[in-house]
Amino acid sequence: MRDAGNVFSGPAYSLREVKFRYATPSRDTSESVLKDITCSIDSGEILGILGPNGSGKSTLLKLLARVLRPQCGTIELLGDPLSFMSQADIARRVALVPQETLQIFPFTIAEMVLMGRFPHHRGLGGWHWEDSDDLRIAQMAMEDLDIVHLGARLVTDVSGGERQRAVIARALTQQPQVLLLDEPTAFLDLHHQLDIARILRRLNRERGLTVILVSHDLNLASQYCDQLMLLQHGRIVEVGSPRDILRPDLLKSVYGCQVLVDSHPQSGLPRVSLPV
Amino acid sequence: MGPDSVQVGMDPTAVILLQVRLPRVLLAFFVGGSLAMVGVALQALLRNPLADPFVIGISSGAALGAALALLFGVGISVWSMSALPVCAFAGALLSLLIMYRISLAGHGFSIYTLLLAGVVLNAIFSAFIMFLTSIADPNRAFGMYAWLMGSLTGPDFATLGVLALYLGMGLMVLATQAQSLNLLTLGEETARSLGVEVERVKQLVFVAAALLTGAVVSFSGIIGFVGLIVPHAVRLIVSADHRLLLPVAGFVGGMFLMLADTVARTALSPGEFPVGVVTALVGGPVFLYLLTHRNRRVGM
Repeated sequence: MRDAGNVFSGPAYSLREVKFRYATPSRDTSESVLKDITCSIDSGEILGILGPNGSGKSTLLKLLARVLRPQCGTIELLGDPLSFMSQADIARRVALVPQETLQIFPFTIAEMVLMGRFPHHRGLGGWHWEDSDDLRIAQMAMEDLDIVHLGARLVTDVSGGERQRAVIARALTQQPQVLLLDEPTAFLDLHHQLDIARILRRLNRERGLTVILVSHDLNLASQYCDQLMLLQHGRIVEVGSPRDILRPDLLKSVYGCQVLVDSHPQSGLPRVSLPV
Repeated sequence: MGPDSVQVGMDPTAVILLQVRLPRVLLAFFVGGSLAMVGVALQALLRNPLADPFVIGISSGAALGAALALLFGVGISVWSMSALPVCAFAGALLSLLIMYRISLAGHGFSIYTLLLAGVVLNAIFSAFIMFLTSIADPNRAFGMYAWLMGSLTGPDFATLGVLALYLGMGLMVLATQAQSLNLLTLGEETARSLGVEVERVKQLVFVAAALLTGAVVSFSGIIGFVGLIVPHAVRLIVSADHRLLLPVAGFVGGMFLMLADTVARTALSPGEFPVGVVTALVGGPVFLYLLTHRNRRVGM
């Protein structure tokens, strides 16, 4: 299924001196959200971006999908500078699962999942009726996320967790090489949190999908991410394996509170707990 | 073509039917269809199911443009082409841009910001229009009042042809953007992440919506709520998919206004009242119902 993707062997992303601030004409004193981000993100890994509120995690994710454009610096996606690509070119390689998935209009789940095919069709403003290939790809994504039975339901009528899974299915329907997720498990119960995490790992291992996710759930990140990136005040504090990053001293300096770190009984990976 | 050549071999009923009724029915269909499709486009663009060219002040912006053109005498027509629709287009575009800025400035996403802003914008534009009519000479002012209330009286085929030209241009642009509008309902950032060139789509849709509203208002005045109730009903019954929603809402909107105009023309026969009265009396209560009932379901 992946064709062009496996030819490129370099990093999924390389960022050089990326700076970003929100343009708010009313408040020109606004501080930069991201200051001088330089890093490289390997293909085929699961990267977790961690950090306190306001550290720039979500903004960084939006820059990677070029939903926002940085004021300074360059971002390369699979070797190509992001600033020269069309939005559709980017959307064929990168899918973004946003944090807010509020729906206003009564599309069915299946219709919304099929919207992921948009970047694959050229022509007048993407005027196109989905063909059997599109339907097959969307069907597979819906099977992956266990939402086939919801296909005819309206997105305005399903639960937050079901909608979240539909949004992830839509992202997979883009057939991306990189999947970006902003707090993918925030609205899910335990069962579906585990489901999503396992699906992401399976897609990563079986199809070589690069996964970059923002999370506040340090333990989930510890169990499922190969690498963690810790952000604070718009700068990278440290990048490394869960064992390197989830250290009490480092977490205290970034989050500003004492935490306890022991080992997960099954995996032996770090487990973070709050003190009583 | 003089009246004599028309009447040769035709009975008066046929003349009334073809020369009076048919153009009026066609005008109603064009106007209703366009208003419904503009409603659909604005709702997607502003992510607000209650957006309607009348409710959020786009129609009064167009009316102000047209009123200025009328009063300062640029309403002179050449082959039924006049500066009127152009000025109405400019007014509609101006108010659309104001509304869009407001919808961005609203903290987060709020349906009420937009509606309140629409009320205020309507009040401002109406004040300007009232000022203009009060300084105009009484004969002109009366004509303007009748036109402002929304009227479908007296078009000829040449006028219809010009209107069809404007509408055709606007509709073609909207039709090509149907799938992009689907994605825009998810929010601009999400649409962008799915490959939509959001800025270009917005510009196209803004211009098309202003063109349609400007043309419709300059020919038939302010007719409210068609752009609100028709898309809503079609969305519920047919689909929210703009590739279906746009053409179906256009057709239903056209039929709806034809029906409303028939009521306006025949209910108090031989007298008649403006069709805007009918659409407001039907649409107003529906709007209030939606305002109180949608909120809970959608969580706005």
